[in-house]
Amino acid sequence: MMCSGMVSPDLILRALSKGADGVLVIGCHLGECHYLEGNYNAAKRVAVLKKLLAFAGVDPARLRVEWLSSAEAPTFVRVTSEFSEQIKALGPSPLKEVA
Amino acid sequence: MEYRTVLTTCTYCGCGCGFYLEVLDGRVVGTIPCKTNPVSEGKLCVKGWNVHEFIHSPKRLTQPLLRKDGALTPVSWDEALDFTAKRMREIKEANGSDSVAFLASAKVTNEENYLIQKFARAAVGTNNVDHCARL
Amino acid sequence: MVEKVKARVQELLASGKVKGFIGLRELHGHIGPYLFTDGGDLDGFVIGDRKAAGDTRYPLNTQLIMISRQYPEETLGVLVRGCDERGLKTLFNTNQLKPEKVVSVGIACPQELADVCECMKPFPEEFVAGEASEARPFGSVERIESIEIGERLKVWLGEFAKCIKCYGCRNICPMCYCPECTLEAKDFQAVGSIASENPIFHLTRALHMAGRCIDCGLCSEACPADIPLRTLYKKIADIVDLEFQYRPGYQDSKGKMSPNVLGEAAKH
Repeated sequence: MMCSGMVSPDLILRALSKGADGVLVIGCHLGECHYLEGNYNAAKRVAVLKKLLAFAGVDPARLRVEWLSSAEAPTFVRVTSEFSEQIKALGPSPLKEVA
Repeated sequence: MEYRTVLTTCTYCGCGCGFYLEVLDGRVVGTIPCKTNPVSEGKLCVKGWNVHEFIHSPKRLTQPLLRKDGALTPVSWDEALDFTAKRMREIKEANGSDSVAFLASAKVTNEENYLIQKFARAAVGTNNVDHCARL
Repeated sequence: MVEKVKARVQELLASGKVKGFIGLRELHGHIGPYLFTDGGDLDGFVIGDRKAAGDTRYPLNTQLIMISRQYPEETLGVLVRGCDERGLKTLFNTNQLKPEKVVSVGIACPQELADVCECMKPFPEEFVAGEASEARPFGSVERIESIEIGERLKVWLGEFAKCIKCYGCRNICPMCYCPECTLEAKDFQAVGSIASENPIFHLTRALHMAGRCIDCGLCSEACPADIPLRTLYKKIADIVDLEFQYRPGYQDSKGKMSPNVLGEAAKH
């Protein structure tokens, strides 16, 4: 994706239903968006979707948003490892059985 | 400015759901399910919801066509019916009643479908009656 | 009650303040939307209470948008309840209608209807008939939230599994005006096949109701499978209110808050 602002929440839902056990959205740091407000839009969408997932009965921890620049490789490694550990602990997505 | 809603019955299947067709300046532009219809109570299926779309289709047949010298030619209802009656009688006389079959339609009323099967059985003498919507 | 509304509509049409009035008409025992253009001929004018209060409500704002697009210079009147008025305000904010070209005639819903709807505001700001009933909390949302999260998913999957993908929830919705719909975009949904993808079809639609749903409940009434869609959309409205302090239609119609709370629509 060119920008976290292009990550439609519809695509996140699609990923979860097509077999992803979790979705990690990584965008540029807030205030550093080349398109000015792409990552703010991403932040809003993820916040709403997490709450909707919880209401629908899906653990909202399966969705996470992080802000990272391309110069932060160690943080990227830490965040992704941490997230994958967390998802492993949660087990397979309950939506996958349906799809 | 002329906007009308015309109450009618769905032509797609035998359920008989009711809806309003929305007519804006002489063109049918939308479908609204009728809440007071005792059959459908304001609900429709995907076909019913889109029923207005075929009305103005340029592909729709609007008059009888008869194949003349290999080409389909528009003719009057009288000519089409006379031709059909004549040929049907000839075929029946040459090959028997069961050489004719009747295919009824979901796009007409229950009563019209009753008439076509009655015509097939009583007038022509065949049980070869079928229907396009075998629900 | 209906006489007061009729008198107001008659006055609007006779004075030429409106070119037409979109309301409801009863003809041969059936009630449906109708465009009244002659103040002297309001035969069959009803407000949509047939056997029970509000049992024959229709998305009149949808008809209003359609006619307005054809006749942008004309001023039109429309019958509104509390929910319809919230819809109008939101449609003004999204530039689907021009406030100066719309005259609404309000009616307040009786308590009986407000109870069934769990309505937060069962009356428009100005109304010519009825009395303001009390608001009711979203009990249906609370009932879902009282279920443990793992079980909740089973409840919703069971509900969504009944979907026959008629698109009725979207088609009847007075707030669904997009020329292109994500629910028919192959990158997001299985298109042209039945049944709907469970649960993403309905969760996607719920997301698209964020900042948009004015809680009229016509979706639930149009659903042939009785899926409690309204409960789902009530929750998304609660979420948006909590996150962004915005609830569509409750702010001043000239307020700056845009219903596009989730940012510009993602292109697809």
